Amino acid sequence: MIRLTVNGVEHTLDVEGDTPLLWVVRDVLGLKGSKFGCGAGLCGACTMHLNGQPIRTCIMPLSAVAGQNITTIEGLSPANASVQQLTPVQQAWLELNVPQCGYCQSGQIMAATALLASNPNPSDADIDNAMSGNICRCGTYPRIRSAIHKAAGMMSAGSHPQAARNGELFSEVTLPQAANSEELSHG
Amino acid sequence: MDKSLNSGLSRRSFLKASALSSGGLLLSVALPGCAAIGMKNQGMVSAGEWQSNAWLRIDTDNRITFILDRVEMGQGTYTGLVTLLAEELEVDPALVQVEFAGVGSAYDNPLYKLQITGGSTSVASSFKRIRLAGASAREMLKQAAAQVWALDNTSSLHCDNGQVIHSSGKTLSYGELASIAATFSVPEDTALKSPDEYRYIGKYNKRLDAQQKVTGQAVYGIDVELPGMLYAVISRAPAFGGTVKTLDSSAAKAASGVVDVFQLQAAGRSGVAVVARSYWQARKAQQLLQIKWQTPEVAPSSDAIFAQYARDLDNEDGEQVRDDGDFSAAAEQAASTLSAEYQLPYLAHATLEPQNCVVKADADGMEVWAPTQSASMARVAAGKHSRYSLDDIVIHTTWIGGGFGRRILQDYVAECAVIADRLQQPVKLIWNREEDTAHDWYRPASLHRLQATIGADGKASGWQHRIAHPKVFEWFVGDAAPAQYPFMPKFMFPMLASAGKLGEGILAPKDSSGYEGANDVPYALDNIDVRFIHSEPGVPVGYWRSVGFSHNGFVTESFIDELAHQQKQDPLNFRLELLARHPRAQSLLRRVAQLADWGRPLPGCHQGVAIHKSFNTWVAQIADVQVEGKTFSVKRVVCAVDCGQAVNPDMIRAQMEGGINFALTAALYGNITLKDGAVQQSNFHDYALLRMPEAPQIVVDIADNQYDPTGVGEPGVPPLAPAVANALFAATGQRLRRLPLQLA
Repeated sequence: MIRLTVNGVEHTLDVEGDTPLLWVVRDVLGLKGSKFGCGAGLCGACTMHLNGQPIRTCIMPLSAVAGQNITTIEGLSPANASVQQLTPVQQAWLELNVPQCGYCQSGQIMAATALLASNPNPSDADIDNAMSGNICRCGTYPRIRSAIHKAAGMMSAGSHPQAARNGELFSEVTLPQAANSEELSHG
Repeated sequence: MDKSLNSGLSRRSFLKASALSSGGLLLSVALPGCAAIGMKNQGMVSAGEWQSNAWLRIDTDNRITFILDRVEMGQGTYTGLVTLLAEELEVDPALVQVEFAGVGSAYDNPLYKLQITGGSTSVASSFKRIRLAGASAREMLKQAAAQVWALDNTSSLHCDNGQVIHSSGKTLSYGELASIAATFSVPEDTALKSPDEYRYIGKYNKRLDAQQKVTGQAVYGIDVELPGMLYAVISRAPAFGGTVKTLDSSAAKAASGVVDVFQLQAAGRSGVAVVARSYWQARKAQQLLQIKWQTPEVAPSSDAIFAQYARDLDNEDGEQVRDDGDFSAAAEQAASTLSAEYQLPYLAHATLEPQNCVVKADADGMEVWAPTQSASMARVAAGKHSRYSLDDIVIHTTWIGGGFGRRILQDYVAECAVIADRLQQPVKLIWNREEDTAHDWYRPASLHRLQATIGADGKASGWQHRIAHPKVFEWFVGDAAPAQYPFMPKFMFPMLASAGKLGEGILAPKDSSGYEGANDVPYALDNIDVRFIHSEPGVPVGYWRSVGFSHNGFVTESFIDELAHQQKQDPLNFRLELLARHPRAQSLLRRVAQLADWGRPLPGCHQGVAIHKSFNTWVAQIADVQVEGKTFSVKRVVCAVDCGQAVNPDMIRAQMEGGINFALTAALYGNITLKDGAVQQSNFHDYALLRMPEAPQIVVDIADNQYDPTGVGEPGVPPLAPAVANALFAATGQRLRRLPLQLA
C-alpha cells in the first residue's frame, strides 16, 4: 500500500510501486487532465507539481513520491469553474486563446504556474528557460509567452481574486468525485 | 442580402426539417436518393426520427445544439463553423452547444465525397451550407412567431439573441417557437446576410474550446474510459513489411495482470499484442516478449532511396503536369542555364497525443472511440478488421491532440478492432512515442531537379522542375475507397481499393500530392515544364500538414530566389514583376515588405522572403535570421495571408503562428532516416520538435476582403523554410538545397 496526497485528498493505493505517477493519477484516480506524450521526460505533457515543484510524472515511479503532495491541473481550480474561479494563469490562457489542439496545455499551465510562484515577474529569457522542457506541437509558444506576462501582470496588480493562491490548491471541498474515494486498487 | 449561392446547393434537396420527439426543431441534411441503404448508421435511428445526420437542433428549453461534422484537432474548426451558424441564427456563438458527429453520408466533405477533415477545407466547404442551415432555421422561427401572433407575413419581425422580436417590442424565444417551426417545410428562397450585416463573421475572437482545454476537462481519445476496460500495447515489426519469425511469449503471459498475448496482422503490419489490466502492466510484459523478426526482401536505407530517386530522374520522362510555351526550344536557345538539385527528407507527424483507440465489441456490435480525422474511414478500418458489418459499428469522435494529417490513416483503429474483436471486452490501445515515431505514414522524401534558362537578352526565359516522389494516394486508398461506398459488402473492399488505384479519377481527385505547388508555379516565365516522376521506395507515406506544397513550396521559392540573384535583382522586386497576373499575391508581397521593413533587417539579422499559394490561400513571409558561425536563429517572421473573408481573425492568426512553428521544426530538425527498412528515430531526443527558446516573434497580417473563405490550417507552412533559407543565403552566400537546413 502506498499513500499519496493528490489535490489535497489522501489516497492509499494498492498499485505496483514502479508504476509511473502519471498512469496512477490518470487510470487509478481517474484524473485525465495530465497527458502522456513521450514517456521519457522530454515533452512535459505530464507535468504535475510535487510539493509545488514541477515534475515529469511519466518517468516518476509511484514509490518515489510516496507520502508526498501532488497537484494536477484539476487541482488548480474547482471542477466546472466559472471564468472568475480560474487561476490567473488559466485566465490569461483563456483571454489570449492560447490552446490549439490543447493536448500539451495542462503541462504548460502547470510549468507556468510553478514559474510564477517562484518568479512573479519573469523576463522573456526566464520564460524561455523555465518553459523549454514543454513541447507544443501546434506551436502556441508566442501566446504562451504573452500569457505568462499577462498572468504576472494580473497577479502583481493584486486585483485578481485568485492571485494570492496561484499555484496552491484552491480548496479540498469541490474536488471531482473520483478523487474522493479512500481506497483504490488497480489490478 | 446575398442571394448568389453556389449552384450545387439546391435548397430543396439539401435541408429537411422535422420535429424532435421531445418537441422542438431538428434541421437535417437530406440524403441523396441512393443512400437509403445503411440507414442504421446514417440517421434512421428510430421510427422516422432523423438523428445522426442532423446539423441543428433547437429544443423547447432554448438549447441550441450544433452537430459538428468536422473534427477539432487544434485548427479552430469548432469555433469557425459555430460562428457561421450563429451569424445567421442570430445567437451568441458561445451559447451554441456542440456535439461531434458520428458517421453519416450527410457529413461527407463535399470536396472529397468522404467524411474527412483535411486539406484545409472545413470553413471553405461549409461557408454556405452552414450559414444556409442557420438562416433557414431563423426564417422558420419567424414564420412560427407570425403564426402565433396571427400576422400575414414576417416583415415586422427580426431575430436577435435567440428571440424573435416584433416591431411592437414583444418577443418569443426560439425554444417557445421550435415545435411550431418544426411543422413547416424548409423555405426555398432564404437569403443569407450580406457582409455589412455581419455581427460575428470577421469579428468573433473567442476560442470556444479554450476553457475546457485550460482546465484539463477536454476528453481526448486517450482519455476515454469504459467499465472493465483492458489495456493493449503492440510490438510491431521494425522494418516495413517485416513479419514475426519466432515468438516466445511465455514470460510475458506469466507477468502480473496480463490477460492475453497474441500475434496480429492489421493495416498491413505484423505485430504481437499484449493485453493487460493496466497500461503499465502491459508495457512491462511487452519487455518480456522474445521476438525474432523476419526482415522483408525490400528493406531500403535512406541512401538507397535517394539513389533510386536519382536513377528515376535520370531515366524517366515522367508525367508532364505543366507545359507553357516550349521549354526545349528555350533551352536550345539559352545563352546560359541555372541548374540545381533539391532534396527533402521523410518527416513524421509527431502529434503530441500518440495514436490510440478504444473499442468495445460484444454481441450487440462494435463501438469505437477514436481521435480520427475521418469517422467514415475509421468505420471501414474497424469493419475490415473484425466480424462486424459496417451497420453494426458506431464511431465516436473525440477531441484530438494534434492531427496534421496523421489521423487520416486509420491503422490504430484497425489494430484495436482486431484486439477487441478477439477479446470481446472493452480495450484501449496506446502507442508510445517510440512506436509513434517508427510507424508513421511519413511526409514523402523527394528529389527535385530544376533548370532555368537565360536568353540572349540576359533575361530568364524558361523554368523546368522535375520531381521524383511516390503517390501518397496509393497508401490511403484501402480505407478511402470503401468509405465512399459504405453500402458495398465487405468482400468488395479490396476490389474498390484496387479500382481506386487504377482509376483514381473516379473515386477521388487525381493524386496531385507529388507536384501540387510545382505545376502551378505562379511566375510569368514564357516556357515552363513541370514533370512528375513516380518513384516508389516502399515506405508508408501519408498526408503531412500542407502535403505536396510542403516540399514544392521550399523548392520553387528557393529556386526563384536563386534566379533573382542570378539576374542581380532584389528577390522581392523580382517576384513582384513576375506576379503581374496575380494582383492578390502582389499586394500581399507589398504588405509583408512594408510590415517587415524589407531591406532593413533587425540588428544582426538578414532577411529572406517567400510567397506560396496552397489550399487557395496566398501566404507571404519574411524571416529575419541571425547567423553565428554554423548556427543560426530565426528572430522574427512577418506573415501576410489572403484567405478571403476572415471568419475568425484570431483563429487565422493562430493557424499562421502554428504553421510557422510547425514548419520551423522541419526546417531546423525534421529528418526521418531509414536503415534496413526501419526508421532510426524514436523519441524527441533524436526527432526534435521546436521548443520555446527557438520560437521566433511572429507578426501576422490578414488581407481584408470578402472573397469566399479559403483554407488556413496548412497554408502557413510552405513559405517558412524557403524564407529562412533565402535569409541564410543573404547572410552567408550559402545556398542550402536540403532540409533540414545546415550551414557548412
